[in-house]
Amino acid sequence: MPPSSPDGGRAAKRVDTRRSASQTSLSAPPTSLVARALGRLGGMLLVMWGATTAGFIALRAIPGDPVDVMLGVTASVGESVRQQIRVEWGLDEPPVVQYFTVLGRLVTGELDSYQLRQPVMTVIADQAMPTLQLTGLALVFALGLATVGILLARLPALRPMVSTFELALVSSPTFWIGLVLLAVFGYQLRWFPTAASAGLPALVLPALTLALPLTGIVSQVFRQGIGHAESQPFALTARARGISDVRLLSRHSLRHAAGETLTLSGYLVGSLLGGAVLVETVFARQGLGAVTVRAILGRDLPMVLALIALAAAVFAVINLLVDLLVARIDPRVRMAG
Amino acid sequence: MTLLQWRTRGESQRGRGRPGRGPRGWLPTPGVIAASLFLVVLMAAVLVPSLFSPLDPLRADASASLDAPSAEHWFGTDRAGRDVYARVVHGARASLGVGLGATALALVAGLIIGVVAGLAPKMIDAAVSRSIEVLMAFPEFLLALVVIAVVGPGETGLLVAVASAAMPAYARVARNQTLVVRNAGYVRAATVLGVPPWRSALRHIVPGTLGPLLVMAILGVGTAIVSAAGLSFLGLGPAPPSPEWGVILSEGRNTLSTAWWVAVFPGLAIMAAVVSIGTVGRHLKTGGAVA
Amino acid sequence: MPTTRAERSQSQLPQRAPRRRLGAAMALTAAAALLAGCAAAPAADDDTNTVTFGIEGANLGSGHMDIHSTQLDVSSLVLRNVFDSLVGQTADGQFVPWLAKSWEISDDQLQYTFTLRQDVTFHDGEPFNAEAVKANFDHIVDPETASAQAASLIGYAEEDGYYVGTEVLDEYTVRVDFSQPYAPFLQGLSLPQLGFYSPKALAEHKDDLKAGGPGVTVGTGPFVLSEYTPDQELRFTANDEYAWPAEGTEHQGRAASDELVIRVLPESASRVGALNSGEVDVIADVTPTMVQEVGDGFDVTAVELPGIPYSLYINEAHGVFADPLVRQAFRLGFDLDAAVEGVYDGQYARAWSVLAPTTPNSYEPAVEGTWSYDTDKANALLDQAGWTERDADGYRTKDGVRLGAVWTAWTPVPDDRAALADIIQSDLRDIGFQLARQVVEPAQYNELYATRAFDLTDWGFSSPDADVLRSHLRTGGFQTVSTVSKPEIDELLDQAVATSDPAERERLYQEVQRWNNEQVLIVPLVVPSEITVASTSVKGLTFDLYGRASFYGATVER
Repeated sequence: MPPSSPDGGRAAKRVDTRRSASQTSLSAPPTSLVARALGRLGGMLLVMWGATTAGFIALRAIPGDPVDVMLGVTASVGESVRQQIRVEWGLDEPPVVQYFTVLGRLVTGELDSYQLRQPVMTVIADQAMPTLQLTGLALVFALGLATVGILLARLPALRPMVSTFELALVSSPTFWIGLVLLAVFGYQLRWFPTAASAGLPALVLPALTLALPLTGIVSQVFRQGIGHAESQPFALTARARGISDVRLLSRHSLRHAAGETLTLSGYLVGSLLGGAVLVETVFARQGLGAVTVRAILGRDLPMVLALIALAAAVFAVINLLVDLLVARIDPRVRMAG
Repeated sequence: MTLLQWRTRGESQRGRGRPGRGPRGWLPTPGVIAASLFLVVLMAAVLVPSLFSPLDPLRADASASLDAPSAEHWFGTDRAGRDVYARVVHGARASLGVGLGATALALVAGLIIGVVAGLAPKMIDAAVSRSIEVLMAFPEFLLALVVIAVVGPGETGLLVAVASAAMPAYARVARNQTLVVRNAGYVRAATVLGVPPWRSALRHIVPGTLGPLLVMAILGVGTAIVSAAGLSFLGLGPAPPSPEWGVILSEGRNTLSTAWWVAVFPGLAIMAAVVSIGTVGRHLKTGGAVA
Repeated sequence: MPTTRAERSQSQLPQRAPRRRLGAAMALTAAAALLAGCAAAPAADDDTNTVTFGIEGANLGSGHMDIHSTQLDVSSLVLRNVFDSLVGQTADGQFVPWLAKSWEISDDQLQYTFTLRQDVTFHDGEPFNAEAVKANFDHIVDPETASAQAASLIGYAEEDGYYVGTEVLDEYTVRVDFSQPYAPFLQGLSLPQLGFYSPKALAEHKDDLKAGGPGVTVGTGPFVLSEYTPDQELRFTANDEYAWPAEGTEHQGRAASDELVIRVLPESASRVGALNSGEVDVIADVTPTMVQEVGDGFDVTAVELPGIPYSLYINEAHGVFADPLVRQAFRLGFDLDAAVEGVYDGQYARAWSVLAPTTPNSYEPAVEGTWSYDTDKANALLDQAGWTERDADGYRTKDGVRLGAVWTAWTPVPDDRAALADIIQSDLRDIGFQLARQVVEPAQYNELYATRAFDLTDWGFSSPDADVLRSHLRTGGFQTVSTVSKPEIDELLDQAVATSDPAERERLYQEVQRWNNEQVLIVPLVVPSEITVASTSVKGLTFDLYGRASFYGATVER
């Protein structure tokens, strides 16, 4: 798996010859692409397995009886019933047997959540849509606002203001932004519904909450990318040819910066999913974030393992896509091989 | 963390690319001065909170429940009638403590793991590197959430969770940096001259690695404060009634429509602290004015 | 608008190369699909009379849809619409016929014989008869059901239980047998937990009951569960066949509305917001502070809950609380009146006794006014108990040990209770008593609870029958915090559960309340009320003894 952070990637490229060999193979002829994809798939499965195993060990180490979790705090249930539940869920088996049972069921999709009493796959499938809507709209907001920020920052007078604003956004806790938006636009102005209902209006504040910290980040990186691009020789050449500023920005620099921003995607998706946990809590929304918090707090081992495997898969796929896209958008990567 | 760290590197490279920067760049901007001053005040609040608020952050007054900000209670009162200003001031210790402590812990652990991996045989290095990549595949906050589920909530759990989530990034940079230093001419020369590897590790590699890590760490403190506040907000932080910013914030979330002040002021405190740390950190790093 | 923003940001990218444009187009399509997906909210038919109800709903989706296994109030609130009971209970506590036309209790009080209505059918068309009653009661006591409340309501226990079994006498006559007199039985029967599933659902969907859903959660009630999205929404349609409400119900026949939608809105503020904006017609679980947020044009109904008030449970076998003087000083050491007034804005009453005043045939008014905030008296008691020294932090010590206790609670702690605890903690510091608080996750709490490894804990337990004291005070009771055996109180409680004469039961329970008041084992704090707020356009809403809204006769006038 390639590094998800551009930093490590860059450092690795400079230093580690083993690593840089694999990086440059991006630009190898398309015939090797299938082989590479297969290799990646193998790596992805390996990562999923590793993450799931680590998760199993970690959660087994937690004190607390899963049966208590299933029953809830005020349940008046005798010991023989508890034993019955343990047998039913295979919790009386030795840990190694449990591990293989859980892994097997995870692969075949038969694993049931302790808390929700449903197959974990069903839960994930049901809860994925609200989270996808939230993160999708948040991404749209973030990119849109970042573009506005970049355009504003091109005016020298506004640059310090934009920069300060970005810093404030990056530095604020997501959940606090959510609470402030809720207080102002939900309770005071009543522009948006405060209840976690379906529909677009209810999605605006949560998505905005999730988008704002990202906006700061995307706009910073984008701006730096543009600055970097425009200090390159090709920009000078282009300017010397008499190309207009707007044209330089739209035809060259942005494209250049887009490549840099794309490598950030892994990080962005991570922020979105991590942020979704808090945003879904603040706005009492449904979704994978809310499911994750509940699964972790409730010691819902099957659910947590499924979510870990899902996260590992999502990140592996995103990294793969980013590598491919960067190679297509940014000509330098293609030439570099 | 990942991003902040990336940003520093980006800037550091740019800085290196333009060595001709004049001394003018060292002059702090008003923003940096304000941020530094705020951090000084904050440290004073951590050390001697009573200097800023004579009121007791735990003193409840049932008759003063949810009073709006006034001359007597600058930031208003919470549901139990406690002074929010006093709680925010006294909360600085717990919040900054976790931020600094977790970052230090992450740095030390990351350094050890990274240097060992960088010096170890290929097999071990590959294993450690893959493990770090797996960890870095997860959003930092989720990682902290899983860790706190294992170690349990509370002040110590919070520290360990935030540190564990930040650690992989440090380990990765430490490892890469170790490879750079290891391949540097003087270290190779030392190896050829028969200096044992562990000795060059201590004499050259650790100091050579520490620099970039410390830079990461300055900005990492801010991220750690935000992560810790997030976990406290979910009810996984210090036990009540201890005044920690995330705890105060979460106490205010359900009175948002009637008493906005309980949630807003601790949030402002977090933002101000993190912005200040970021501003000062970037200034120290770039050796110049913040863009 | 988000879409235009997306277009603009995408169009900044160079447009010449076709493959890039494809990428941008795909991104746009994806965004559009997302937006379309969330805009497609179900639209209600104009002719349908729909009542929308917002509830807190925490944990309903966590396997608490099975009325026979759950112990949560929310399950009763929601599932009452689907499940009927053998007997009903009127507002003054009388039992009336419902699915049972009549019943007879044998002289030794060991046999209850019920004659059933003959016109009742389940939502899936199955007939309701004696076999159905037996199948349901058998299901409740089946260890596989892992019933957390229904089994104890019916009087079943693994050891020393009361319930023996259910016999089918003929198609519409059924007899329930007990090993010893069990007075709370009719009370239990009137609750949704002892409601009736279609035998077909019990047989075919046994493993799905906890998750619940249409075709699984099938009863005889006025509403049929038609759509279920866990933790989000439940949609019910009126049962057209329905003609069997409990005796004395004003509305008759089919439910007054066509559709009932229950929306899960976990945050109190969001429920009030949804009510104010007209998104929902009725909301439940309203907190006292939020009542003031409700605008004009709404009816507020507050019903004081019977049972055990929200209380502190002292573990007398642990730490400093072994000394009765310390327990008394503890109770006098905080200003409960001010705390309750401040935190609940006068909406909830301060509690005096271990039973709420609305608990039928049991309340002891004599304990009122017997204990109030008195630091002088508390200090004197602590001095008398030998806690005379003070350490640097101002806490009392004895032989170098600090006077203190740990209050253990489980997450999440609601704000009001946290604020109450903050005040109690702050007040106790003045008399030199250090009250530390430990908030742990439910799983860890259960571990601590199993061995009673704590000084103090808290909960409230609403119940319409004073017999709830038996599980809270009897030696070895499931909710008994103290591990010290007290034969005299066990005897009183056993006597009360076997007594069907209301006056005699009342006398016995009053004695228990006086005893607790002297011993200071359970410190009652607040009598909570169930607060429901409805739009004035909602007509025909009624409430049960627990203050739970009943939607059978409710409609919305638009």
